Amino acid sequence: MNEQIRREFQVLGKPTPKKDAPLKAAGRAEFADDINMPGMLHGKLLRSPHPHARIVSIDTSRAAALPGVRAVITGKDFPGVRYGNLPRTRDYLPLAIDTVRYIGEEVAAVAAIDEDTAEEALDLLQVEYELLPAVFEPEEAMKPGAPQLHAPAPGNISAHTESQFGDVAAAFAEADYVREDVFETHAVKQGMLEPHACVGVWDSFGKATLWSCKMSPYTVWRQLAMGLDIKPSDIRVVQTYVGGGFSGGKQEAMPMDFCALMLSKKTGRPVKFVHTMEEVLTIGHMRHPMKIWLRTGTTKDGRILAQHCKLLANGGAYSSIGGFSIFLAGAMLNLPYRVPNMKFESDRVYTNNGFCGALRGHTVVQMCFARDSQLERIAEDLGIDPLEIRRRNALHDGDVTPNGFRINTFAFDECITRVAEMSGWYSKRGKLPKYRGIGFGCGAHLSGARLMGHSASAAEIRMLEDGTVHLTTGSTDVGQGVETVMSMIAAEVLGVEVDDVNYLKVDSAATPLDPGTFGSRVTLFTGNAVKQAAEEVCRQLAEIAGERMGVDQQDLVFRKREIINRKDERQRVSLKEIVRWAMFQQGRVITGRGTYGASEEKIDFQTGQGNLSPAYNPTACAVEVEVDPETGFVDVVGLWGADDSGTPLNPMAVRGQVIGAAVMSIGHALYENLIRVDGKVMNPSFRDYKMPQATDLPKLADFQHANVITWEPEGPFGAKEAGQGAGTGVIAALANAIYDATGVRLTRLPMTPESILFGLKGVQQQKGNRGP
Amino acid sequence: MIDLIPVSLRVNGVRYDIDIRPWRTLLEVLRESLGMTGTKRSCGEGQCGTCTVLIDGKAVNSCLYLAVEAQGKEIATIEGPPAGDPALQQIQRSFVSKGAVQCGFCTPGMVVATKALLADNPAPSEDEIREALVGHLCRCTGYVQIVEAIQDAARGMQDAASQMAPKGSD
Amino acid sequence: MTYLKRLPKFEYVSPRSLDEVCGLIAGTSDDEVMLLAGGTDAILQMRRRERVPRRVIGLKGVAELEFVRERADGSLAIGAMTALHTLLSAPAVSQRYDLLRETTAQIGGPELRNVATIGGNIAGALPCADLPPALMTLGARIRLSSQRGDRWLPLDEFFPEFGRTVAEDDELVAEISLPRPASNSGGTYLKFHDRHSMDMTVVGVSAFVVLDDDGRTFRDLKLAYANGAPTVFRARRAETVLRGHALTDEGLEAVAETACAESSPRTSWRANGEYRLELIRALTKRAIRLAWGKASSRKGTKP
Ligand SMILES: Cc1cc2nc3c(=O)[nH]c(=O)nc-3n(C[C@H](O)[C@H](O)[C@H](O)COP(=O)(O)OP(=O)(O)OC[C@H]3O[C@@H](n4cnc5c(N)ncnc54)[C@H](O)[C@@H]3O)c2cc1C
Repeated sequence: MNEQIRREFQVLGKPTPKKDAPLKAAGRAEFADDINMPGMLHGKLLRSPHPHARIVSIDTSRAAALPGVRAVITGKDFPGVRYGNLPRTRDYLPLAIDTVRYIGEEVAAVAAIDEDTAEEALDLLQVEYELLPAVFEPEEAMKPGAPQLHAPAPGNISAHTESQFGDVAAAFAEADYVREDVFETHAVKQGMLEPHACVGVWDSFGKATLWSCKMSPYTVWRQLAMGLDIKPSDIRVVQTYVGGGFSGGKQEAMPMDFCALMLSKKTGRPVKFVHTMEEVLTIGHMRHPMKIWLRTGTTKDGRILAQHCKLLANGGAYSSIGGFSIFLAGAMLNLPYRVPNMKFESDRVYTNNGFCGALRGHTVVQMCFARDSQLERIAEDLGIDPLEIRRRNALHDGDVTPNGFRINTFAFDECITRVAEMSGWYSKRGKLPKYRGIGFGCGAHLSGARLMGHSASAAEIRMLEDGTVHLTTGSTDVGQGVETVMSMIAAEVLGVEVDDVNYLKVDSAATPLDPGTFGSRVTLFTGNAVKQAAEEVCRQLAEIAGERMGVDQQDLVFRKREIINRKDERQRVSLKEIVRWAMFQQGRVITGRGTYGASEEKIDFQTGQGNLSPAYNPTACAVEVEVDPETGFVDVVGLWGADDSGTPLNPMAVRGQVIGAAVMSIGHALYENLIRVDGKVMNPSFRDYKMPQATDLPKLADFQHANVITWEPEGPFGAKEAGQGAGTGVIAALANAIYDATGVRLTRLPMTPESILFGLKGVQQQKGNRGP
Repeated sequence: MIDLIPVSLRVNGVRYDIDIRPWRTLLEVLRESLGMTGTKRSCGEGQCGTCTVLIDGKAVNSCLYLAVEAQGKEIATIEGPPAGDPALQQIQRSFVSKGAVQCGFCTPGMVVATKALLADNPAPSEDEIREALVGHLCRCTGYVQIVEAIQDAARGMQDAASQMAPKGSD
Repeated sequence: MTYLKRLPKFEYVSPRSLDEVCGLIAGTSDDEVMLLAGGTDAILQMRRRERVPRRVIGLKGVAELEFVRERADGSLAIGAMTALHTLLSAPAVSQRYDLLRETTAQIGGPELRNVATIGGNIAGALPCADLPPALMTLGARIRLSSQRGDRWLPLDEFFPEFGRTVAEDDELVAEISLPRPASNSGGTYLKFHDRHSMDMTVVGVSAFVVLDDDGRTFRDLKLAYANGAPTVFRARRAETVLRGHALTDEGLEAVAETACAESSPRTSWRANGEYRLELIRALTKRAIRLAWGKASSRKGTKP
């Protein structure tokens, strides 16, 4: 049946270029930094040079007196209301008031006639600080007597979670084999090329409008209302084109957003802020560095009986979404495996570093690195083939995990098989020349999480008199192809072309409310809403057409911009004609609405019990490397991945997502590292924060991805997530490949040439000690 | 303190007589004085390539180039000449059809650099394409689709050239 | 904390001749004026406020500093304002100075090489600059010009300490001269960096080998290093180890050992000194082998 439906697709399932690609390729897409308004001023932020200090006083007079400066603001210009993500953890301020907690925290802002003047004014701001002791490592921060960052968080515990499913102690007692390992992950960044930017206008009637490159404009909208202490209805957030997001700052209201509005209020002019790359890389929202202690018990034949994980996350100075971050790590500890008994304990700790939050794959990436590295060691110890041990433990369709995930579709086994075929695993593993190795890694991801607060998505469709479709949702296109896939879904249902659908960018004054673009939720959540909205429009149009044509509306189908009587295909009428008739003769507005996720069950965030997502996506990959034994340099010579994204609605976009995710993981594993010394980011530039380049990847012929196609009943037309899962297995696969090539087992990220070279020396020494 | 300098810039074949300050980069002048925002600003230090323009046919980071020094030279940007540029258009079509555009922030720089590459080397190998792109970061695509798009554009331009050749060669 | 600000305010002049340049820098100090060649580093120095000159002297209009010429004595003369891209496409460089071509191709990407100049790469005095080691092993001499006249000196003597050159404030680098390489010679530059391209060099090793007529022993070996010490330097003691000997594993070990002893790489957050030493050891051996291979395969070809 699935096959059949797919074959019948008119629009979906065909590789479709992004609708906005021609505009972007022509340089005509307007990004936030491209906005220019008459009289516009330019803002700049003054940032703390200290990791922890009390602000004694700020003297703005010299800066304010600089010709060209129009306004200077400090934290005292705001109402002093803290804002944030989760109700328990509202700890952000638009600008610091008495205390700064990390190097780079925003202290004051200026607006001037040009960027040069604004920059110059920053040098004239005089801030007197009283330095406070600072702490940078979570272990230190938890000790009695350590400097405290936030009064309500004793021991600097920013968030704590604990969960247990099954009887872990009994399972370990029963296990034939138990091993423990510790893994360490590092701080990495989103690395989108478009720096954060916004333009704020606060007009004299009290309405504040922000144009900005936000992934989740409605989160920003709410947070602005919170921090400015005004009604959300007085705020309008308008999304511009988004030059890459990958979560992080583009999910939230940032100090620049508040300051653009406040400075506009003070000056009566539009105010623009654009971060430099240094600011982007220094401020918050890196991936949580973690120490992961993982204990696993198995049977002799490698079946996992229990896992116990303790996790310590360096959260940095503020909460961001950190509470959820560590919750998710625990919830996803098992996937894509069957773990009947599991226990998870974690702490997220405040330190005087830039704060951590979400980044593509969120905390699933760290867990997969740890778990799939360890699994490989277990396989080795027990003498089991690395693919076989994964197969033995694989989750399958219909499984319910101990923490309550209901797995509808999960073609994990087939993903493993496909990767083995594509990579030539069995002809390579153990047979490659010295210093060449191949490794396997797996992961999984959600298709959107059910959250505590607002979880539902909505869509609205309005038919226009020329037969085209006006589609609005609250979901943003950040490059991943939302405008295209949503248009394709609407076009599929309404029987029109993709180009007939006009997908508007999010504008809080006009589009439906939505939690935002994160957690791989959009295709599934918003896609279902769009499908429902389009079906509602069809129902209305079929009723009108049926009447006009004298045909039972049940017999009408929508295809090629026409409404056709399925029983006698000669009976047909153009969509446009029916819409015009309805509008002109009947005075009707043809609109349809859809929603998804509104009345769904919720998760118990205390116990961790519940079905966190409507659908789950398994992924497997193999990586082949060649290591230079004299320098430790790693060449990634092949990468083969497969995942079950359900039914790919736009295969071109899915391919773009999975390859992009895999390459980002290569960067995070091998090259990227936000180096912080006493809280100072040493490498806040693309020269030193090293993202993969075109020469760092395998050749096209050795870089492949396959979709194992399933039909996910919860997804619109069988679809699941694609953008994050594909990156989750790559880091472990690389670690395993490096081990295969060199015998060096790396448990700390990034896997630098230096660590490999010194690791090799260690391995050689050991061999030497053991004698010839 | 320091006077504005009158300069005459030729951008996409059009002459602009403007007064600029000597410390303005070409990127700033294109975006801020001429309103040509297709050329993007990102890293500010020649690593990301989003600000790439052609100066006398050669790809250059406009963030590392003083505008006063571009005087008397032929500057080409993603906006292209008013009458259109077949090479640019072919490359743009290939980027679109091969899925090489996601967020689109790196795209103008990539497209402009591709124009310079293919003018120099009409049939680049996969490795030559990658080498030509090292000054361009893309965080979305993982580069694969961009390499494919450039291969496609090279084929497209060669096809177009071979169709032209017999007619024009008498 | 701003790492890159907008450019500071300065006056800009664009001389047309070398004489004019010399006139403009005569009697000035580095704080007052700054030469801008390609500008790929100069602009960043100013944006980082490491230099805040009152006046910037743009060299792009000085046509007489832009040339690649073979001289009657067989040497190659390169004008300081020659762009790296021009070096790559110069036939004389491809035919006879493979080491220079190979090194140049490893610097930055096309956008950088279209603008950055050989003079800027040398005069910047960065310990990680890639051309100086290659040029040193090729026996480069440089011409410094000022109103007081010209002087020539070996490139080896140009970098007295970190970030400095021996050029006076009123001098600029005008020309680089390379002797014609012996027929049975070959060189290679190995640049180690974190990714495959566009990175600052962690360690760079240039080796240039001249074989004896019999093709079995080293007549000469030159070794120079980027980031092996606070300045680019030649490992003169290491160079002598193999002179007159054949290529052997033990010989290579000894050269590498001596080169390490002569090096003093620094530890920074970018890389540990200990690791850089390992790289020097490994890459010295590898570079000599590769250079030897090239020299052997070229043996007997007409210069
Ligand atoms: C993205 C990027 C990548 C890079 N990659 C590399 C690399 O791989 N390897 C490498 O070696 N370098 C690299 N660099 C550094 C540098 O830009 C180059 O070394 C370049 O060759 C400098 O030349 P330029 O003409 O741009 O010099 P400029 O920036 O114009 O000048 C550099 C310095 O030299 C002085 N100067 C210039 N010319 C003269 C002269 N004739 N006489 C006296 N003083 C002079 C200037 O006043 C200035 O202080 C990179 C730079 C960037 C931005």
